[in-house]
Amino acid sequence: MDFYFGLAQTVGIHTLLGLSAYIVLLTGQVSLAQAAFFAIGAYSAGMLTVLAGWHVVPALGVGSMLGAVTACAVGFPALRVKGLMLVVATLAFGEGVRLFFFNFDYQVAKGGIRVGPLGGEGFRQIRFFQEHGWTTGEVMLFIWVFVIAVMALLWWFDRSRYGAVLRSVGEDEVAAQSVGINLTAVKLSAMTVGGAIAGAGGGLYAHYTTHIEHANFNVLLATFAIAYPIVGGLRTVFGTLAAVIFVQAFLVEGLRFLGDWRNLLFGALIILAMNLRPHGLFGRHGA
Amino acid sequence: MLDFLQTLSDGVLFGATYALIGIGFTLVFGVMHKINMAYAAASVGGAYAGLLVLKAVAVVPAWMVFLGAFLAGGMLGWLVYVTCFHFIPLSSPLAPLMSTVGMLLLIDEVIVHLTAGMPQNYPAMFDDVMLRFGEFTLRGDLLLVFGISVLAMIGLLALLYRSRLGLATRAVAQQPIAAQLCGIRVTRVNALTFVIAGLLGGLAGALIGASVGALSPLLTTPLTVKGLVVTVIGGLGSIPGAIVAGLLVGGFENLFQQFRGVTERDMYVMLLLFAFLVFRPGGLFPAKS
Repeated sequence: MDFYFGLAQTVGIHTLLGLSAYIVLLTGQVSLAQAAFFAIGAYSAGMLTVLAGWHVVPALGVGSMLGAVTACAVGFPALRVKGLMLVVATLAFGEGVRLFFFNFDYQVAKGGIRVGPLGGEGFRQIRFFQEHGWTTGEVMLFIWVFVIAVMALLWWFDRSRYGAVLRSVGEDEVAAQSVGINLTAVKLSAMTVGGAIAGAGGGLYAHYTTHIEHANFNVLLATFAIAYPIVGGLRTVFGTLAAVIFVQAFLVEGLRFLGDWRNLLFGALIILAMNLRPHGLFGRHGA
Repeated sequence: MLDFLQTLSDGVLFGATYALIGIGFTLVFGVMHKINMAYAAASVGGAYAGLLVLKAVAVVPAWMVFLGAFLAGGMLGWLVYVTCFHFIPLSSPLAPLMSTVGMLLLIDEVIVHLTAGMPQNYPAMFDDVMLRFGEFTLRGDLLLVFGISVLAMIGLLALLYRSRLGLATRAVAQQPIAAQLCGIRVTRVNALTFVIAGLLGGLAGALIGASVGALSPLLTTPLTVKGLVVTVIGGLGSIPGAIVAGLLVGGFENLFQQFRGVTERDMYVMLLLFAFLVFRPGGLFPAKS
């Protein structure tokens, strides 16, 4: 049973990561910085519970807020550029953050052992759940409370005026601007909400793996973040969830019996999926 | 001061390979207005293919490995076009981004699969030659890398500005619909652009292998990032921009590697990119619109 709880935890955390990219993609922006906000949430929440002895919930709140603040700060200069330029700008920012954590040491002695982030060695022993005796099932439920809350929020956004505004910017910027929508404000707000979601997801990730290091937050994770909503389609939040289940449960876990060949099939299936369903598995039909 | 010059010149010479990768990105972007995320992976893949195929046949001199990589790169370029671009409608800009990421993962995994994840030694030429000017030296193999890159760039510019195919390519880049109305087959030009970019990429991959001394699938992600950085610093779609930016990034990163260490090196490259995005978002040679 623990195996399925573990899988549900992974799916939950990746769903949060995918949803953080989903809201940014709605405005037509491709951001490869989501892994960076995820990393910021992971390191800050981990440091708060391990070094400052906080409870995990306020620590996640701070991680999420730091993700949002960073996203807002990056969004300002980065959203001046479009298309490929934005992809590269956010990619560079993400790599910059990763390299920052690669060079980041902040350790304190606690009960005879030194804890905290240690550059390339990573940040070990984020054991809040273990120290407080949470079972795998409880951790899974805790993660899914966040996932469901975020999905409900985004689902409600989609049905509100705000969602219509986001999509109108994504469909046609000139038309949106001509009816009086402030493009920068809309994109920046989407970026900030995305940063908050990624920050919370990162905090959960740090506590569930107990060991994070800079290499976890590389370009590959950033591409996965945008891959989920793109593969799932941008019509609803459930597309992202379906894509995460498709990738994590089917491609990663379900094909494990194929051994080495699984990784080969992985890339090929993504190519095939995009050729057959260019608007995503659950996107609109036709052009 | 001598240290500084030595480091700078080594970096600039190696930067020629970044320039080649940057040209590939910029060429595809200029013609199709799409990003080919698989480009650096295909380049390394071409270099591997050249090495593995020829090694399986016989022990061959380095120049034949380079030629093999050049040709294999072109074929991989065509393959990337067919699998990731040809069948996807223009109206879904996100789909090719994702399919080329799939291709990147696929090429990486094929390489890992074929070589059992072990780095492969790559043959070099003139690696025992050393030009000395007092204390200042120039490595023969890096000079060769630089020389071949320059020749490849001259060849590309000649192709683009002195041939009918180049004229068609530039026409499609400027106005695809108008070009089609003039009787140019746009899909054929697109495919050929990928082949040409792939040829350059395979060559770049081989040159990188030769100057590093080994090839590893771990090279693909950093090369993708560097190639994109070079493309943006140079100005999207600008070939001279990509050349200058490649040399600039090569020299810049080598200086920081020397004086700040290898773990911090790329952080400064990213800062350089951010400085460009803030102060000169169009890059060194902004596209005229």
